[in-house]
Amino acid sequence: MSAEPHLATPQGQPGLATEPAVRRQDQWLWRFFVTGFSFLMFGAGALIVGMVLLPIVKLIPAPQDVKRQRARRVMSAALRFFIGCMHRGGGMTYEFSGRERLGRPGQMIVANHPTLIDVVFLLAFAPGAGCVVKQGLWRNPLTRWAVTLVEFIPNDQAASMIDGATRALHEKQTLIFFPEGTRTRPQQAMVFHRGAANVALRAATVVTPVYIRCQPTTLTKAEPWYRIPPRRPHFSLRVGDDLDLSGYRHAPLPSASRAFNDELHRHFSQELARSTAIRP
Amino acid sequence: MQSQDEILERIRGTLVELFELKPAQITVDARLYEDLEIDSIDVVDLMDEVQKHTGRKVTPEDFRSVRTVGDLAAVVQRLTHA
Repeated sequence: MSAEPHLATPQGQPGLATEPAVRRQDQWLWRFFVTGFSFLMFGAGALIVGMVLLPIVKLIPAPQDVKRQRARRVMSAALRFFIGCMHRGGGMTYEFSGRERLGRPGQMIVANHPTLIDVVFLLAFAPGAGCVVKQGLWRNPLTRWAVTLVEFIPNDQAASMIDGATRALHEKQTLIFFPEGTRTRPQQAMVFHRGAANVALRAATVVTPVYIRCQPTTLTKAEPWYRIPPRRPHFSLRVGDDLDLSGYRHAPLPSASRAFNDELHRHFSQELARSTAIRP
Repeated sequence: MQSQDEILERIRGTLVELFELKPAQITVDARLYEDLEIDSIDVVDLMDEVQKHTGRKVTPEDFRSVRTVGDLAAVVQRLTHA
């Protein structure tokens, strides 16, 4: 790799880079515009989907749960289109192995959370899944309509989150959880909050991990969106083996959920420590 | 009608079993969060236990102002004799 020290590093400070300075390549300037345009497209899309498409879908007479599933599938299709645009526009590349194992009844999908668009990938390729997301999305004028109509679960109060999530799983929905609750702090260890583990032991029929990597990193907590990485980012999502909950059924929930949370964290730490995703 | 001491004893037993605490830690003034390390997710599990023991529906509002074991005992007493 040639090193031209005056070019931007992920932290934007030449000479203080945590990785060797890399020449901007893969049509950097074009990617800058594609990324910026993608943000605009996402905002406009969220409004159109939330204020036009989903309300229409929900007007079609059907039982409440059928309406909700239809709304989620429409949102999922829109997000697949969005990913396709980013990909064909050259903003990023991705691979997602094992997605046929997502979407089972009562399944809890747990994933790590390195970037802003992890949720987008999971929602796009697990159509019909619900998601536990931050309360702020109901206050955000771009997303509030969509998250309300697809009946996502806000993550603010423990009691109502656990109540909503267990009800969804008991109704045999698929539910996506990010145990970190927020994007991973780069260069720091992941912290898993216990809510996902607690809900899993209460109500999940199966727990399936999805390991998410992004190389080089982008859209993390550490940098603003316009610090486009010097190389085209590659997202790698891999659906892992289902986790076995049977060992946790006999202890009281407070200690069982702590133990299961620790196991979840171990699985993710071990998997993500491997240098590259293993391709079949 | 259960006396406050009886209720406290029952609560002590529940907390010891549920959270693997020592009986000596559970005093009337012991604070759930600061002293016993019972956080908001644990409180949901605790609410389920209280519901199971009292046979009454427990809501987050019931627990909103519970800070100490004493507060918890007051809620349980209220629910038991509602």
